[in-house]
Amino acid sequence: MDLKDEIRSFVVDNFLFGDAEGLTDDSSFIREGIVDSTGILQLVAYLQERYQVAVADEELIPENLDSVQRVATFVEGKRGGGSCAGGEG
Amino acid sequence: MELQRVHSFLESSAAARPDKVALVHDGERVSYRQLNRAANLLAGFLVQRGVLPGDRVVILLSNGVKYVASYYGVLKAGAVAVPLNLETGQETLSRLLDELQPAGIVLEQGAGHLLQQFHLAPPSVRFLLAADASFAQGGAHLVWGWDEALTGEELPQGGRTIAPDALASIIYTSGSTGQPKGVMLSHRNIVSNTRSITEYLRLTENDIQMVVLPFFYVMGKSLLNTHMAVGGTVVINNNFAYTASVIRQMAEEGVTGFSGVPSTYAYLLHRSPLASFRDRLPNLRYCTQAGGHMPRDIKERLLQVLPPHTKLFVMYGATEAAARLTYVEPERLPEKLGSIGRAIPGVSVRVLDPHGEELPDGECGELVASGPNIMIGYWNDPEGTARVLDSNGYHTGDLGYRDAEGYLYVTGRKDHLLKVGGHRIDPQEVEEVLMSSGSLLEVVVLGLDDPLLGKKLVALAVPLGGNPSDRSLISFCHGKLPRHKVPGEIRLVAALPKYPSGKIDRVSCLSLCG
Repeated sequence: MDLKDEIRSFVVDNFLFGDAEGLTDDSSFIREGIVDSTGILQLVAYLQERYQVAVADEELIPENLDSVQRVATFVEGKRGGGSCAGGEG
Repeated sequence: MELQRVHSFLESSAAARPDKVALVHDGERVSYRQLNRAANLLAGFLVQRGVLPGDRVVILLSNGVKYVASYYGVLKAGAVAVPLNLETGQETLSRLLDELQPAGIVLEQGAGHLLQQFHLAPPSVRFLLAADASFAQGGAHLVWGWDEALTGEELPQGGRTIAPDALASIIYTSGSTGQPKGVMLSHRNIVSNTRSITEYLRLTENDIQMVVLPFFYVMGKSLLNTHMAVGGTVVINNNFAYTASVIRQMAEEGVTGFSGVPSTYAYLLHRSPLASFRDRLPNLRYCTQAGGHMPRDIKERLLQVLPPHTKLFVMYGATEAAARLTYVEPERLPEKLGSIGRAIPGVSVRVLDPHGEELPDGECGELVASGPNIMIGYWNDPEGTARVLDSNGYHTGDLGYRDAEGYLYVTGRKDHLLKVGGHRIDPQEVEEVLMSSGSLLEVVVLGLDDPLLGKKLVALAVPLGGNPSDRSLISFCHGKLPRHKVPGEIRLVAALPKYPSGKIDRVSCLSLCG
């Protein structure tokens, strides 16, 4: 399973109760009511533990975390040492 | 002349400062003139659809410019604004629509399941206004798009005669138990409370409020009305989950006020760059907190983290009071940290015994409020109304006492009291102790049925990190509480179910316990 599939599975299992219907790579977690604020905390905790990446408070922005695609890009950037949105804007 | 209708606030500010920015949302900046015109057009549309004074119009929209235009448009037409939670389930929604018999519904994609099934709407519904859709066709039909609806004629200001006592809004409470109740608020209720709040917060046209709470929740509605009343600016940010984007926008927009419920602040303290932005929030004049008891530990940490010039207003209220009842003056907060303060201007809050007699200082009874902000009653529920409203005022269901200086303290809720082995226990006291351990993000203490004790205490706790053990938490409680108040079990969970307002949903927490 690649990174995006893993993230998708985490979201489906934890927030959609296994029902993946309608969830695309670009579905907005917040606008579409998929994840709430405590859910974002859970997602961040999962990313830190599963992928051993540190997520700074300044990085808690929708550009990094608000869809399966964005999360995957964010984590890949972190693992590859690339730049991510956030920090000091 | 003193303004007496809720929408007069918008009209008055639009006349005084038409080009002032009233709303900021997702890069859009809307002036008072534009907002008032949109509300007039919406009102004109409603009148064209045959909406009469007193008719209910349901608003199923997330926070945004269209929500605000709809809210004031409905009021201008003399109708009753009924904002509902966008996440209301189909079953509850059907029940609410049935009891409301609305003339129409304004909704968006998020509520699209209703649009698809509008045949389920009661026959009273004469139109559905899809705020984010556009339809080319005109003529007699049920579903309208936003642009299409707003191309008609404006309802001229004062086009409908509305009595100050007329029903303005029905706001559904999340309700700590059972079904949500529709709280009926008149123009007078909302106007008087808006005035009290602008007075004690000393709001002016220079105030810029960041709103992360939903407008369908009474506190969100109050933030909107108070800022429209003074000609201030409301910045809408629906992305509170991404705290860094909220804090950053507060700095960029020079926000002067921020408001939240206890979980808002718990979350900000735990996972946001608030502390590192201390120097970049020079305009943040104050923060307000309401929506339930906030643990002492969070208040103390908040006072440390907020910029030194930012005042913290701890407040107390109820939907039934059009929002606000009491507040603590920030300068007294350090010495009155556990208090909800004193009544706001024009309101009285007394501590009464079960016979309606006022209790002396220090004795515990029920908090009973009276004033022009107290609701008319619950929609279609005279029995429920009679249970909480009488000649003494509104019975809040909150238990508490008053100190010698008149400051009030809430010790818990009547309907949350748990009977454990012959003792009456208030979960709030136990929650407060658990939070003071410093190792939890949030906690709820519940009573599970127990054949021996009647109820046994179980805590659902969300750890801050570092994974405290349930044993260490129980042992911490033993050091602070008598044995019968120590939870028999502490379950560590990832999150607590909440209402969209951010308040903890105790009923869903209980069902989590299985």
